[in-house]
Amino acid sequence: MANSKITLNYFDIKGRAEIIRLVLTWAGKDFVDNRISREDWPALKPKSPFGQLPYVEIDGKVYGQSLAISNFFAREFNLYGKSNLDGLIIDQVAQLTEDFIQEIVKVIRAADPETKAANQKKVQEEAAPKFWGFYEKLLKESSGQYFVGDEVTLADLIAFDVVTGFVSDFTLPLPDSYPLLTALVETIGNNDNIKAYKAKQQ
Amino acid sequence: MAPKSMRLIYFDARGKAEISRLVLAAAGQTYEDVRLTKEQWPAEKPNTPFLQLPVLEIDGKRYGQSIAIATYLAREFGFCGKSNIEELQINQAIQLAVDLMNTGSKAFYESDPAKKFPKYFQFFEKLLKESGTGFVVGNSLTLADIVFYDLVFNYISRKVASIEGYPLLQALSKTVESNEKIKAYLAARKPTEF
Repeated sequence: MANSKITLNYFDIKGRAEIIRLVLTWAGKDFVDNRISREDWPALKPKSPFGQLPYVEIDGKVYGQSLAISNFFAREFNLYGKSNLDGLIIDQVAQLTEDFIQEIVKVIRAADPETKAANQKKVQEEAAPKFWGFYEKLLKESSGQYFVGDEVTLADLIAFDVVTGFVSDFTLPLPDSYPLLTALVETIGNNDNIKAYKAKQQ
Repeated sequence: MAPKSMRLIYFDARGKAEISRLVLAAAGQTYEDVRLTKEQWPAEKPNTPFLQLPVLEIDGKRYGQSIAIATYLAREFGFCGKSNIEELQINQAIQLAVDLMNTGSKAFYESDPAKKFPKYFQFFEKLLKESGTGFVVGNSLTLADIVFYDLVFNYISRKVASIEGYPLLQALSKTVESNEKIKAYLAARKPTEF
């Protein structure tokens, strides 16, 4: 994998691909960050494994599903802990985030403005505190400052993405009442690779 | 290090716990299959990590999220592929199935549910064709096969979809059902609506 050619294909937004970009950036792995316009997508669609974005090309083979992809790169680049139990802790965070995202999907896919507004309110008032609370609880239970003790894993990057990525477009800003989560986001954000990447996106 | 004791806690149903039960069955693992009644649930809820079931209790510590739990069990007992790339393929297949389940409840009310499913069943069929082994990934049973099997079983038993026209998916169902340990588990399994 160290010498593999990786191309990530997605729209020019954070969305579902950002976690993949964060994992590769944290790992210092070069990749082609192919950002596609909406106009160019139909022509590319047949090349995607499941007619969706994101998809990656790794040494000529294509794979879809952002969760599977980010999970794979995390394992390849030592961001997945050391044991099966570490993996379970990380997967809990990943799957909780999927549940959170499903609440946001209800806003995006709402059939009419009233439903959209109601679902948006539910995200802000119910879902966000609930899921932020779960991340805070898991951090509290950890033996270190990260989800898996003292080592950064995919789980930490996922939480960072939740608070700074597309999910945060649908929530209010993270309040002070989640100190461990707040500290984690700051720590991840202060990483040199992440800072350089964020600067490039401006 | 294999866990000393495991309890899988859920309702008296297949639901989100069944894929874990199938993995444990295929692995020949003993565990406590705890089934809560609706009356017992409110008291148990605060004792769960995320106020939901299923929960897997491993040597006294509790974990939630059905896919995380099933994946842990699959990894622990050798049903999660032989390489990172195989695990990527397994996770890819599982996430596709999850996408289908997320749209699935809408399809239950859709007047023509056959509209929703073919897209996903085509993907499952495509993955099986690309694999060429009769299994979704590699040449032996993995969590991906179990997830596809359980999903197909649910849709067919509730008569909301058919896998006519998906021969590889049909064959996969039979393959999973005829796995010796799973066959014994299924023969003893109490039928439940969900």
